[in-house]
Amino acid sequence: MPPSTNTALSLSGVSKHYGKVRALEDLSFSVQEGRFFVLFGPSSVGKTTTLRTIAGLVRPDKGSVHIFGRDKTDAEIAGRGVSMVFQSFALYPHLTVYQNFAYPLVEEKVAKDEIDRRVRETAAMLKLDKKIDRKPNTLSGGEQQRVALGRSLIRRPKILLLDEPLTNLDAKLRHDMRAELKRLHRQFGLTIVYATPDELEALSMGEEIAVMRDGTVVQIGTPDELYEAPQDMYVAGKIGSPHMNMIRGRTAKDRSAVEASFGPLSLSRKIAAEAGEEAVLGIRPNDIRFAAKGEKGLDVSISMLEPLGDVTVVSVAAGQETLRMVLPESAATGLAPGQGASIYLDPKKFHVFRASSGQAIA
Amino acid sequence: MTVRTSPTPISFFAPSADNWKLAIFVGVIATLLATLALPAAAAFWVVGVAAALIAAAFVVNAYRRRYYGGLLVAPAIAVLFVMNIFPLLWSLGLSFFAYQSNQQSIRFVGLQNYVKVLTNDLAAEANWYALINTAMFVVFTVSAQMIVGFLLAMLFAKQFPLRRYLLILVLTPMMLSVVASGVFFTYYYDPTFGILSYVMNNLTGQQFILMDNKVGAVAGIVFADAWMWSPFVMLLVLAGLVSVPKYLYEAAAIDRVSAWRQFWTITFPYIRGLLMLALLFRTIEAFKLADLVILLTKGGNDTMTISYHLIRIANEQNKTSEGAAISYVMLFMVIVLTNLYLYLANRRSQGT
Repeated sequence: MPPSTNTALSLSGVSKHYGKVRALEDLSFSVQEGRFFVLFGPSSVGKTTTLRTIAGLVRPDKGSVHIFGRDKTDAEIAGRGVSMVFQSFALYPHLTVYQNFAYPLVEEKVAKDEIDRRVRETAAMLKLDKKIDRKPNTLSGGEQQRVALGRSLIRRPKILLLDEPLTNLDAKLRHDMRAELKRLHRQFGLTIVYATPDELEALSMGEEIAVMRDGTVVQIGTPDELYEAPQDMYVAGKIGSPHMNMIRGRTAKDRSAVEASFGPLSLSRKIAAEAGEEAVLGIRPNDIRFAAKGEKGLDVSISMLEPLGDVTVVSVAAGQETLRMVLPESAATGLAPGQGASIYLDPKKFHVFRASSGQAIA
Repeated sequence: MTVRTSPTPISFFAPSADNWKLAIFVGVIATLLATLALPAAAAFWVVGVAAALIAAAFVVNAYRRRYYGGLLVAPAIAVLFVMNIFPLLWSLGLSFFAYQSNQQSIRFVGLQNYVKVLTNDLAAEANWYALINTAMFVVFTVSAQMIVGFLLAMLFAKQFPLRRYLLILVLTPMMLSVVASGVFFTYYYDPTFGILSYVMNNLTGQQFILMDNKVGAVAGIVFADAWMWSPFVMLLVLAGLVSVPKYLYEAAAIDRVSAWRQFWTITFPYIRGLLMLALLFRTIEAFKLADLVILLTKGGNDTMTISYHLIRIANEQNKTSEGAAISYVMLFMVIVLTNLYLYLANRRSQGT
């Protein structure tokens, strides 16, 4: 399916308060048709409320929801063309898999044999054809997940909302289902809005990711954009594993270096900050390596080694700061805590943030 | 902490205070001998003492072997035994004797009481009416309670202002004593100063006596009974309604399912068992209906029930052993009825 330029969904200035609790605050984003859009953030940042607002289960206090260009802010749930998979799956416990699948169709006055055909087709696609007469509580977690998915897909919705659908599955199943979801997305050209607290899920599946904090979006971008150019310390800290190293310091007089506790770190450019202003310098553990011969390195002492198989995470102490670096397993052999070393920090890989607001400095 | 081994198991014949098996054996023998050989008044006490000894043996056994769970439920079991099990067994025994509570003589007659109940009594037309009336009350009161209780539960499952207070108000009739409610209704229905007669009198200009014909009398009793026991059905159904996970309704809303189908496919399966339970409880109770009849009509206008008939035989006519036989026939009917219910309920939940 060729990428479309139609906007499938857009939220603008959506706010929702429950008493004094702020669930959503001035939330805005839009999703192109056919996109796999991920809402990413830890629990209770408003991901579920956002999805429920799109589905119509929640009416926002302020702001508007447009679906394919039409204002659906106060529209009935039924008229939105949106389907949702709940975190709890919400399968109808007294109906069989077949009846669960057929449930959304019966109301639409679809002919009996057409229902039968679509149910069997969906079951076959999700490899549930042998379980079709079973009740949900006799199925495994992964099978229940697939029933929930199938029930949402059978109606051929324009937009599919997925609320942490893989959280209740074990690691192996989660891996399989990620691939399955990507395949379904491609096959049907669906617009998917997917909420997850899992960084790996967000990065591996999302074509576009909205990082959420306190009921609002901090940054929207492709996985690469979020990784390469985080606009906020919060985003920088959430994306990438192990987490980005954050070095506190002050902007030097010529604004092209940051004075850390262990000495100045020069930057590849002048930054738009006052001289002496507190700044945070971020560098990813993958962007730190041992200094080559003749290179001007930073003298540190090794404090901890975490071998992870193919790579080793090495923690080093520089002044009051502890930095983590990821080395190939071969480069880490022979190291021991307490040893001295010289490391090289590439100025091109620095991310500079304002300490007061957390925002990236241009 | 020291681990103490429990006392070794005692042999059956050891005359020890914790030998409950021997106590039961001796108790049963003593009961049989006493009921056959002694006059009823004396046998009653012998059986009572035998039961107390068996209970004591159980308690001592539980204490010595540290079955503290058993000790803790012992008072409840004792009350159950004194109030329910002993009278039940005693009346079963009585039903095989010719005995009247206002006379000393007692004589073993075997199944004669039952023969009399199932031939003479059933031959009498009045008793058939009592039986038919009972069946009629069961059908009317239970269906009224089920419908009203169910609708009330549907109402109270929703949130609305003052819900908590209204709920307490609705539950009050169930907690009132039957006699108190019965007296309320005698006042409501009173031909001279009752509110119902007053309203009807103003509307039609004629004196209105609800209880002066069978339809009115039955309606009055059914209304009072439904008023008292609908809250009970409501409480059970409400428990079921509250237990339905909210997300199922949300999922159904997203699946664009109509309210009617949501009820039958989501709500109803959750309350079916409880509806069945309410039906069972209320049917058993309705089968025993006597109190409201006594309070409102005294059995007049052909509102006699089998239970009221039993009270008259056993208490007012002092035919104690005959009454016992009737109650066992009734018990048998209730057991058949409830098992029929349970059989149908199980078959429905297993089928499809």
